[in-house]
Amino acid sequence: MNLLAFIQRAEAYLGERLPVHKLSYDAMVRKKEVPVHRLSWGYYLGGLALFFFAVQVVTGLMLLFYYQPTVSDAHASVEYITEHVPAGALVRNMHAWASSMMIAVVMVHLLTTFAMKAFARPRELTWVSGAVLLLVTFGLGFTGYLLPWHQIAVNATKIGLQSIEEVGAYLPGALSEWPRLIKETIQGEASVGQATLSRFFALHVVILPLTMVAVLVWHLLSVQLHGMSQGVDEPPKWKEKFFPTFFIKDLSVWGVAFMVLFVVALCLPFESFYAYPLFEPFDPKGSTPDGIKPEWYFYFVYYPLEILPFWVVLLLSLVAGVVLFLTPWIFRETSRRTLRLLAAAAALYLVVMTLFGEQIYRLFKG
Amino acid sequence: MKISFHFQWQWLSLAACLLPAALGAYPEYHAFVVKHSGRPINCAMCHRHPDGPDGAAPGQLGRLTPEAQERLGRARSAFEPGVKVDSPILNEFGNHMVQALGRKQLMELKMAPEQLAERLPADSDLDGDGIPNVREFLDGTHPLNRNDGHPWLLFRHNLSRNLTQIALTLAATAAGLWGLGHLLRGFASATQLKEEESEDS
Repeated sequence: MNLLAFIQRAEAYLGERLPVHKLSYDAMVRKKEVPVHRLSWGYYLGGLALFFFAVQVVTGLMLLFYYQPTVSDAHASVEYITEHVPAGALVRNMHAWASSMMIAVVMVHLLTTFAMKAFARPRELTWVSGAVLLLVTFGLGFTGYLLPWHQIAVNATKIGLQSIEEVGAYLPGALSEWPRLIKETIQGEASVGQATLSRFFALHVVILPLTMVAVLVWHLLSVQLHGMSQGVDEPPKWKEKFFPTFFIKDLSVWGVAFMVLFVVALCLPFESFYAYPLFEPFDPKGSTPDGIKPEWYFYFVYYPLEILPFWVVLLLSLVAGVVLFLTPWIFRETSRRTLRLLAAAAALYLVVMTLFGEQIYRLFKG
Repeated sequence: MKISFHFQWQWLSLAACLLPAALGAYPEYHAFVVKHSGRPINCAMCHRHPDGPDGAAPGQLGRLTPEAQERLGRARSAFEPGVKVDSPILNEFGNHMVQALGRKQLMELKMAPEQLAERLPADSDLDGDGIPNVREFLDGTHPLNRNDGHPWLLFRHNLSRNLTQIALTLAATAAGLWGLGHLLRGFASATQLKEEESEDS
């Protein structure tokens, strides 16, 4: 009896969060409306992230024709793509820039969704699926970083994996072995080598993209079934039709994003922001250049790791992770005004650590 | 446990270039560029091998064939400017410097490396990235890598070089969006009309 009641409650809960009875052309397209207000620009960010993901898939497939996932050939194949394949440099730059743009847009999307309280009932699971997508996006960034097999790629990955192992020192009993096992499983051998590259390649081109698509289907379906959240406390100025008005605007935003991406990828090599020794092929016997660090989107955790004791960063990361996934329940009663302030504070932290992390590091460490 | 790898290799990298000082390398230039640009660089700016000429790897002194040693000897005797050299331990930029200034002047300038940029040909651009070698030397970017350079200068150069392609892509994107927009509006109107007709009937 209790089990039946539990199943009924779970069914009702899921039914409210994913109202499949609304799965119709009328509800999802014809009658769907989008509120227009001062924060309605936030409604375009999810679509923009989707656009950059699509660019990643298309350019990634193109790169697959030439990329060789072996330690002996990976760097040479990337160099071949850049120097000899027609439009290879453009495709590779588009892939690299689109990944950065996607992560930037996903982070802003997360913050605006939070500020607009778009996670409130019945959209809790939409938020959770978004948080999973964020982690998968970071995973794609981390695994993709290793593939060119140059100095910065291999050395930064070594440090990233090493930090997983460090966590074991703060866990009790048998749990303390888990981080080492996880690291070894990802790494595949004693040090970062061919097994690591093979595993990162598999993760980057198959496992994570498939996970992304699966969660994305849930996320998008959920968004379409519920419609856009109200976003602000006051009633919207007006509502516009999702199709064709909002949809055409969304496509226009994609067009602008494509042009920005195209111009940047064509005119600004992604590598120009790093010193050239970092892009030499990884040589296990050679000297390692300085300036090894992760991609910019990990600076918000990388610089604190450099400045603060490891356990402090670990604790803060754990709290942030729990808060991220439990946001719909933790901030259920919080006003939108407070949420906007919190989102602004988080945005300020991310911007400061990303742009000025190096200076802050020097300030503390001399 | 602290994870710190930020600047630990800086001195190793510098030491690698300083080591071959006795063998005719110019570590003063390396030290100057590191200080002036604030970027981590290595010996690959002028040498064939990133760790400099000392060693037995390809592009280093220990791996030279008799023919390569002969070329090295000729390059080392190029004391005056204008002599075409092809040193097996130097890359194209390194050879370009020897050819432009001569070894005598290069050795003299070791005491004032900041003057090297003033003496090198101002308009020479070996990698064709729009940034002269002299500027790349001062910026600590690679004069032979067209993807490495001051980002803003690279952007400006590539933008002016690719203006036609950008204009064509812009026109295609705008036309595509315009057409797609009209097509979607047409679909919406047609659907609405059909619904109105069915309601009337």
